Amino acid sequence: MSKRMLMLSIAVLFGMPAGLAMAANPDTGPGCGLGKLAWADYSHQKNIAPQVLMATTNGTFGSTTFGISTGTSGCTNDGKVMAEQKTTVFAELNFENLSQEMAQGQGEHLASLATLMGVQAEHQAAFFAMTQERYTSLIKAGEVSPVAMVKAINDAIAVHPVLAQAPVR
Amino acid sequence: MLFSAALPVEAGEPLGNAYLVELINTALQAKLASERDWHLLLHYRKNVLGGYTSEQDDPGFFMSPDGKTDPQAELDATLKQFFSNELVGRSKQPAQCAFIARYEWLRDRLRFDETRLPPMACERFTRWFTDFEAQSITLIFPSAFMNNPASMFGHTLLRVDQRGQTDSTRILAYTINYAADVPRDAGMAYPIKGIFGWYSGFFSTIPYYIKVQEYRDIENRDIWEYRLNFTEHQVRRLLMHAWELGNASFDYFFFKENCSYHLLALLDYADPTLHLTDEFLFWTVPADTVRLIASKSGLISDVAYRASRSNVIRRKRESLPSEDREIAHRLTKDAGELTSPEFAHLSLTRQAFLLDLASDYLRYRSETTDSPLPEWRDRNRAILTARSQLRIPSEEFVVKPFAKQPELGHKTSRAGVGAGWRNNDTFEEVTVRAGYHDLLDPEVGYTPDAQIELASVSVRHYNRVDQTRIERATLANIMSLSPIDSVFHVPSWKINVGMQTIKYNECQLCSNGVINGGIGGAIESRFLKREVLFAFAEVEANYSRAYRDDHRIGGGGTGGMLADVTDHWKIMATGSYFKYALGEKSDDIRWFVGSRYTLAQNLALRLEYNHRSHDDDVVFSMQAFF
Repeated sequence: MSKRMLMLSIAVLFGMPAGLAMAANPDTGPGCGLGKLAWADYSHQKNIAPQVLMATTNGTFGSTTFGISTGTSGCTNDGKVMAEQKTTVFAELNFENLSQEMAQGQGEHLASLATLMGVQAEHQAAFFAMTQERYTSLIKAGEVSPVAMVKAINDAIAVHPVLAQAPVR
Repeated sequence: MLFSAALPVEAGEPLGNAYLVELINTALQAKLASERDWHLLLHYRKNVLGGYTSEQDDPGFFMSPDGKTDPQAELDATLKQFFSNELVGRSKQPAQCAFIARYEWLRDRLRFDETRLPPMACERFTRWFTDFEAQSITLIFPSAFMNNPASMFGHTLLRVDQRGQTDSTRILAYTINYAADVPRDAGMAYPIKGIFGWYSGFFSTIPYYIKVQEYRDIENRDIWEYRLNFTEHQVRRLLMHAWELGNASFDYFFFKENCSYHLLALLDYADPTLHLTDEFLFWTVPADTVRLIASKSGLISDVAYRASRSNVIRRKRESLPSEDREIAHRLTKDAGELTSPEFAHLSLTRQAFLLDLASDYLRYRSETTDSPLPEWRDRNRAILTARSQLRIPSEEFVVKPFAKQPELGHKTSRAGVGAGWRNNDTFEEVTVRAGYHDLLDPEVGYTPDAQIELASVSVRHYNRVDQTRIERATLANIMSLSPIDSVFHVPSWKINVGMQTIKYNECQLCSNGVINGGIGGAIESRFLKREVLFAFAEVEANYSRAYRDDHRIGGGGTGGMLADVTDHWKIMATGSYFKYALGEKSDDIRWFVGSRYTLAQNLALRLEYNHRSHDDDVVFSMQAFF
């Protein structure tokens, strides 16, 4: 907060509220139609959510929008998340929101994850109840990696009496 | 002769291409280069002295070296380039694909003979386009965020809504976001470069869930979502043009050619009858663009509100009896509260509600502080673990916004006429203010308790001394009041750069330059309707020939109150004391009482009283927003 206030005073003294939109750093390299998302390597894989926050907070003055450490680059040259990476990228970038919503047994991030994982709308409530019940083990997996969490959820679906019947991506 | 993708003609090679000549002639006869669609595609604006200039600043966006200023030459060169599979633009594709909106428009208008100008398979575009699963477009407006100059006026972006999307999966949609590319270490240069267009702006497609995190979770800004009534055809036009803008970069001007302006250009191409960009000459304030879009009948089909995390916490707390509020507060301090008898005796749904509130608060603390304490995270985990063991889903909690929708607010520029008394003279005055909102202006649609006044001038005529003078001028007068309670502790602050007219010693009407800054706190009460009480510690420098050595510098403080008496009537009262230790050694006591009555969305009355020692000033004015 104090840093921002300092910047603000500078902005005010030097002429004025600088502006309206600052956020994304688009592509500068070849072949990125709408601009590639900025993928940076962060060292603490476990703690991705605060990293994301840091990147975005800086991003209001700096350039990067967000960084991620999925290990593989999940971005197409045209600024989209690769289809096969969508679930992992989502799970990683929304880990804090997901863990809160799993504990709460509902929420838009959880519903979105269910959709990405191919859970049918009519089975969503069962999916929510399952992730709430397995909250502790899923979070433990998620703190290792988003891939591990997604796998743990898939494993749980496979043995679930209702969810197992639905085809899962 | 036939041209195919397999047998391309190199650009620049003399083309003995009869079909190209034919197309150019047909386009010339049909005057396609002066059509609105073509101008929208190339971002041409009419020059004051005739002719056209494109707002686009990347040479790779044009096929002709004269393309920036010559719509006809650009159209001819574009047609020629469609015969070639040479890779053009920053996105390095054949022209048919890199500029697919131009291609489709010209193809439809000139009815390309596909045997003589074979279409190319634009796989990259097709993949990109299909991946959106686009069904409709939503305009997203994250409201103003006072503590970051880049966000003071809010921001706008577009969301590309997916087929089959529901209210809870709309975060998966992509956005189309336009922003300046500012280097990380921009620091001091940032505001200056930003104002004069030294940064380049680019488009990007960031998933909406990241934007929601940024605005709702980190910056605590409310988000308004306006679903636009576009047909499938219009959505396709918008996306095709957005794809072309991947080749574009615009010089980013904070006041006009900013995020909002370029999004309007995209909407204009989607539906050329809208004429949105034509409405902005000098500056484009995001809230104004929202107002403009809302004013087009039938353009908006649905409005949704997404509350910032801090407002979710405020509303949840409001809904609780004080003893439950206390329990939630203790939960955030000590996980031991989870086993307390007070908590255990509550119903399961109430336990769930309090745990959710405590978790929201711990996340709020972690995500809004530069160096969060590790125990907040641990405590949040403990609370969520306890929450998961309750085995019930949280009930939906509808959060009512504190500020109304931005399109219901007053316009951003203001003019006023007034008359009054000062000491033993009378006067008339005229005031014009470029932007944006002060604490006494009608608050509907604006961030509560936040003031940004920019570029304001008052001219007064004093009748008895028969003198006309610039009474006041404001470069910037900004104040952010953030009421403190047991949960939120954000400081209030103010900064003011300008001049006013003072009476001091023998100097009767003297110009006085002011730089003032202050930091303090505010609290909210509800004795009448809603009041905000505030106090600031301040430093101030004055420059005037009224003072010995022409200046004085000192410090002091201000206390005051801002109060809503009714929905239309607001009053503000402040008192200040300053002691000046440098320059002219002196002190100063000031009072201010102001009152505003709203007549209409864009019309208000003011009565203001200003007191300094031996100097009393009363002015009554009518103010219109435009």
